Amino acid sequence: MKLARILALTCGIALIISIAAPHLKRIFADTKPAVQLTVKNAQPREVEDVTQNAVQRDYTLAWQALSTALANNNLKPLNDNFTGFALDKFTQRVKDQKQQGLTTRVIDNGHKVDAIFYSPDGSAIELKDTASIETQVLDGGKVIHSDKSQVHYYAIMTGAEDRWKVRVLESSAE
Amino acid sequence: MRTVILILLLVAVCWFAADCAQAADLQVPQNAVVGQPLTINLEGSGTLYLIGPGQIIKREFKSGPVEIKGEELHSAGRWIAVVKGDSEQSQVFWVKPGKPDKLNFLARPSRVPVAKKDVISGVAFVFDQYQNMVLAPTPVNFKLSVGGTGAAKTVTSRSGVAWTDSSSAAKAGSAQFVASAGDTSVLRVVQQVAADPCERNLRMHVAGHSGNMITVETDPIRDCSGNPVPDGTIVTFIQTDKTGKSTVDARIKKDIARAELPASDSATITVAAGVVLGNELHVGGK
Repeated sequence: MKLARILALTCGIALIISIAAPHLKRIFADTKPAVQLTVKNAQPREVEDVTQNAVQRDYTLAWQALSTALANNNLKPLNDNFTGFALDKFTQRVKDQKQQGLTTRVIDNGHKVDAIFYSPDGSAIELKDTASIETQVLDGGKVIHSDKSQVHYYAIMTGAEDRWKVRVLESSAE
Repeated sequence: MRTVILILLLVAVCWFAADCAQAADLQVPQNAVVGQPLTINLEGSGTLYLIGPGQIIKREFKSGPVEIKGEELHSAGRWIAVVKGDSEQSQVFWVKPGKPDKLNFLARPSRVPVAKKDVISGVAFVFDQYQNMVLAPTPVNFKLSVGGTGAAKTVTSRSGVAWTDSSSAAKAGSAQFVASAGDTSVLRVVQQVAADPCERNLRMHVAGHSGNMITVETDPIRDCSGNPVPDGTIVTFIQTDKTGKSTVDARIKKDIARAELPASDSATITVAAGVVLGNELHVGGK
């Protein structure tokens, strides 16, 4: 009798976990990623404190937007945070995903970001990002690929009307 | 107990072997480059998805090579190859950017005074023909010239960006600021204008009288390099006499500024342009 109770309880817990896990993953995917930005290596201009805070805030928002866009095949978050080549590229990716019935879940475990270039006129900044990311590609609701790795990204952000927008975001093996 | 362990071990070995056999089926290229063809050899049949940062390529396949044309592959970075079919596998691979083909060139400022040190900055971002940033070091040549004479400097890009500082020339005019890398070059025009008027060149004299008015005008106003100060620049004339102060702001027209002031028995007239003071005139008196 006791064994049966324990078995039933275990099954119940397993059922709850299996139902809750995908939702929890989605919730965590939509939360803001942790971004640490250092600016001491920026050249040729020194990054002002205000700019540092704004870039950190907007780069964080850009990653959050990218995750949301790829997870839901929705272009709106991209338009708010990306511009130029990066916007063209990710827009095409979302359109292709939609066409093929795929989605991508990005589980973001944080970014260590170094500002490596800040233009003399203060209009553009280049970041080197070491991102800890888990990528899951889903076909319908089924995961067809999953990997967890550290990826290097190079990003160029430029000042827009009320925020910094990502103009280039490129991953690199080196 | 031994039999159970043996069976478990056997299952694990078989599982591992099956895994290895599956993994061996999907061999993704290690040196893929944007704009260059790609071949992936696959066993069995099914669908191949190549998921890139900015595009997805889909191919149905039956045992044999899957060819991707160069013009189809235009997104550099981290790709994922996924096979769905007889077996389901996936693997990450990298695609490098192509050769430099485009430059995004920022030249600042667009209008600059002559003879100022390191006042013009040029920043070039290097891209391939599909708008991927070329991260490999690339020599970028910056050339700034006015009327055929000027200076050139080659800077090697770092992480896709090259920049330079340059002084403005002593001669006013439209400077051609060119950045070039490989076969591509971009031109920006930087307008080099006369600097502030030179103190020794800001001289005025009485040009005439009419009724109760006196006309004063400057000599041609030039900066310290001899460039004429642009028309429209404001020159201020101030006349002080026993009745008070009269001020006239006049714009330079054809290198000269002119003003009409009330005639006075004894007055002092001064001239200034911005922070530069010119000579002083005493008019009237006995």
